[in-house]
Order: sequence, then C-alpha cells, then structure tokens
Amino acid sequence: MTGTHADGAAHFLNRPESAAAHDAALWFIRGKRDTASDIPEWEALRSAGATLKAHAMGSLAELLETFEARATASGVSVHWASDAAEHNEIVLGILRSKGVALVSKSKSMLTEECGLNEHLAAAGISVIDTDLGERIVQLAGEGPSHIVAPAIHWRREEVAQLFHRHFGTPANETSPEALANAARVHLRDTLLHADAAITGANALVAETGGVVVCTNEGNADLGMHSAPLHIVCVGIEKIVATLDDLAVILRLLARSATGQPSTVYTTHVAAPRNGAEMHVVLVDNGRSARLADAEFRSALHCIRCGACLNTCPIYRRSGGYSYGHVIPGPIGAILAPSTNLEQHKSLPFASTLCGSCGDVCPVRIDIPAQLLAWRGRIARARKLPRGYRPGMRWLGIVLANPRRFARTGRRLRWLLGSLPGFLKRGGWNRWTRPGRSLPDAPPESFREWARRTGRMR
Amino acid sequence: MGAPNRENAVSSRDEILAAIRRADVPPSPRAAPVSAAPIEGPLLERFVTVLRQVGGHSVVRHRDQPLHDVVASFAEPGTASTVVRGRFGVAENGSVYVDAADLGERTDVVRSEHLVLVIPVVAIVATMHEAVRQIPPGSGCGWFLSGPSKTADIEQSLVIGAQGARTLHVILEDVDAA
Repeated sequence: MTGTHADGAAHFLNRPESAAAHDAALWFIRGKRDTASDIPEWEALRSAGATLKAHAMGSLAELLETFEARATASGVSVHWASDAAEHNEIVLGILRSKGVALVSKSKSMLTEECGLNEHLAAAGISVIDTDLGERIVQLAGEGPSHIVAPAIHWRREEVAQLFHRHFGTPANETSPEALANAARVHLRDTLLHADAAITGANALVAETGGVVVCTNEGNADLGMHSAPLHIVCVGIEKIVATLDDLAVILRLLARSATGQPSTVYTTHVAAPRNGAEMHVVLVDNGRSARLADAEFRSALHCIRCGACLNTCPIYRRSGGYSYGHVIPGPIGAILAPSTNLEQHKSLPFASTLCGSCGDVCPVRIDIPAQLLAWRGRIARARKLPRGYRPGMRWLGIVLANPRRFARTGRRLRWLLGSLPGFLKRGGWNRWTRPGRSLPDAPPESFREWARRTGRMR
Repeated sequence: MGAPNRENAVSSRDEILAAIRRADVPPSPRAAPVSAAPIEGPLLERFVTVLRQVGGHSVVRHRDQPLHDVVASFAEPGTASTVVRGRFGVAENGSVYVDAADLGERTDVVRSEHLVLVIPVVAIVATMHEAVRQIPPGSGCGWFLSGPSKTADIEQSLVIGAQGARTLHVILEDVDAA
C-alpha cells in the first residue's frame, strides 16, 4: 500500500455496517480474554513471559544451536534462511525434490511475511490454506486482516456468497455451522491427500528440539501427520529455552488470543513419524537486525496472540488492511517501520497512545512507548508530513512552559468558540473527516476547573 | 534460481548466528518458576468443569466395567469412535496429554469424528507447569487435547467440529482409588 493508514481507514469506514460488525466482533474477543485472564497468578505469568523471552533473546544463538542439534539428532532437517527470498527457495527446493504438486498449509504469519504462496504458485505448486478463516481470504484473493482471525472482517452473508461460488452451497445458506461444515468436507479432502504439509510454529523448544503448533480446528495436525513431508516455517525469535518456559507461553497464549484456557490442539512434535520427512526452516528476515536495536528489541518477544489488535480502538475501527503490513495493529505498527521506514511511516501515528495494547500484552511489550519512540525517529529522520513540521515546532515551544500552555489553551478555546462553523468543519481541516468531527471547545481547562471547584490550590 | 545448495545453507546459518552474536544482547536471567494459586477443591472436579466448558464430556469408568460398555453408553449408534489412551489430564484447561508412542497412527487423534480419551483420575495435574514436566523424555510427538475441534472464523460464531473431532469424551478410570 502506498497511502497512509488514515487513507486505508477511510476506505474501511466506507462500509459502516461492516466496520461496526468488525469493531463489535473484536471487542467480544477482548471481553473473552478478560474473563480468561482472571486467574490469580496472571500478572506473575506475564512477568515470567517477559523474562523468559528476554532470556531467549539474550542467548538466542546458543538456543538455536541447541535446537538444531537436538532436532537433527531426532531425524529433522534444519535449514537457515537469511531472508524471505531464501526461505521461499529452500521450501520450493524441498518440495521439488519430492515432486510435490499439492500442499496443505496451516496458519503461518511467517509464510505470509515471506510471500510463500505466491512463490510456490508461480512454480506451479498448489497451496491450499486449511484454516477456515485463511481459506476464506485465500478464495477471495486477499491476505489475512488479523493474525489470529484472518477473516474477521468478513460477514456471514459474504462468506455464504463466496462458498456458494466455490463449494456450491445454497446462496442463502448463511448459518456458520453449515458453512463451516462445507469447508470441513473440502478441507479434509485436501488435508488427507496433499503431498506435503506446511505449518508455522507457535514455539520452538531448545531443551527438546521440539516444535509446538497450536490450533483449534485440527487442520495443522491433520495435514502434518497425513502427508509424507512436513515443513515447518518459523522465525528465529519463536524459540524458548525449556519446557517450563513453554508452559508459561501456553498458559498466556490462548487466554490472550481467544479467551480459551488452551487451544484445542497443542502439538509438540520433535521427530518425523516412520517413513515421513520433517524439515524446519529457521528464518531471520530482519530479526537479527532488530535484535541489535536495543530500543525496539523487545518487539521480538511477541507471541502473536493478537490481544493488542483486539483491544486497539484504532485497529477495531480501521481494519487490518489499513496498515498495509502483514502484521497489522499496534504490534504491526512497531514492527513495520524497521522493514521500510518510508513506506510505513504513518503507522506509529495510528494510535491514540491510550496504552491498552501494553496492558493486555501477555509478555509485557511496552507497545505504547515503542510507538512514541518510532514517532521520534520518524521526526528526526525528517519524514513527518510537511504540514506537521511547523506545528510540531510550535507545540514544542508551547508545551515546554506551563504558563504559555495555559495562555495558549485559553486563546484556542476562545478561537474555537468564535470561529464560524464552516471554517471549523470545512474540508481544509485535517481533523474533520467522515466519521469524525472537531468537538466543541470546553468552557475551561482541566486546571481551571480544578481550581474553581477547590480541588487544586 | 534453483534449489539452494549445501554451501549456501551453511553460510546463511553462520551469517545469521554471527549477526545474532554481533547484536550483543546482554545476557538475561531465566524466568523464575511461577507459583500457580492452588486450585480450590479436587482437581477432578475442576478438570470435569473445564472440559465441559471447552465442549468435551467426561464419563466415569467403574471398576470391572468393560471399556467398550462405557464407550457404548454414550456413542451414537452407527458411529465409529476412536479410543485412545492418554497419559494424564490438566485441570486448568481440561486437556489430556496423548503421546504418539501410544497410538497406531499420529492421525488417530485428529482424523476420527468421535474421539475418546482414557486417563486414570489420579493422573490429573493442576496446571501446565506440572504438565510439561510429564511429557516423556525423548517423545517424538505428543498432544495436549482440550475438547473437540472448533472454529469461530465466521463472525466469531462458535462451531464445534472444524477439521478434527466433532465430539470428545474423556473416560476417567479408577475414580474409587482417587
């Protein structure tokens, strides 16, 4: 996407009913997360999650070497890819060496990041995404708009039309049960007969050399245990040191993601089954560079639960595509700029800095602080929109002095109260867009109110 | 471009590891064990409650009762169930650990429409902290299975029976001994 996040959001809001449904669906998940996280040791678990991830990043090379040694000893082939292109070539090379024509793929944000499907399709290999939400967006020629619920922006009537075209279900069949069942029949056929299965991984465990995959649908398991070839595509930051660390991650992950105490299937696979092959592709693609950047390093702790997306007032009202990055939402807004600052410079501003993302993050990534730090970097790189610069300079002067701040506030309140309406609401005003308007100025400032009511001397 | 050759793969490995070491991240201590608040009441009770919440069912097998009689007591006539022995259960999330070493095929846990897991009641642990330590050392593959397969990908509407089992029963053995 070449436009800004605000452009993408405006496009999303062109369909107000879908936008409202999107907002409500995400807030529903947020509520389930709140209920599920209501366990006495929740905050201690979050702290443990932060600590174990910091530990893993502090000994990443050793942990990856240990993982490689153990996995190799169990008969797993371990590959290393510096970037997306190398990852795609490695996977294609493995598939070609086995003459694979049809691949079943379970959800993996890493393969989305690398553009694997397109790469394999160009080489004549069919890839079927087998997570229901991913299959919906794949049939529609889209990418996922949410990292856990890829089709969260789809309404059941739209799914009904899509399945009517592709699976021949009745056009007016909109019950989720019937639609999911139609997908089940079609997907199980693929899952049981594909030549190879590709999965992501929720964690790698150095202690066991095992790969951990969490799903609710069972698609990853049906695929990886049926096909003669299983390829795991995973970012190097997904590693944890021990099974004890894994327990902490597993207790945090599903509760934060969907409000479940556990995913239905939590699979620990450390060796291929008899007669089958298993490969793990460890992917860097910018992760080691981020590791060297102390300010933004902790974004690598992310376990991709999606809680920060679900809670974010901006994400809920702008949709995943408005971010123009494979990982959307608050976590995407702090990951994307390091991949291409120019392209993603609007994302750290797609936030009110309300702090909710940081509050729900299961591994305590200080997302609001990183959003703010990115804004600073973008300003210092002189990449702020032209119109912002004088304003920011002026704000810097005003905010540096309490008296000046109070005086300016008084003047602006007067000005806003006296300007004719067309000036306040005209198209020239950046702050007024469809769906948002400039509020009326309050009669007094917070300080004035506090002083008048005797709450502050 | 052709398939990557061996030398390429080796150099990328070294390159990535070198880049990680160059990043010079300060060593950071291991996480201390999290002490989970004790579960109130018997673990069995919690396990059964959570299992029901995640869409599964529990059935007690009494002493000397043949297993197939227990399965027959809940199975719909004419349906085939896959009965699998689990190693232990986890009270906090209603899951049962199944190890591939106990199965004919790994697909057994996910291919069947109706899955039945059998565990001794005494083998229920409180949380995942204890559970991961009971994964058999050297296990090639194992699962924590928590309820039947499900999806909420269409408008967050919960549908039981996505790609895997549509029903999941856990048979609890040796209740009298517990």
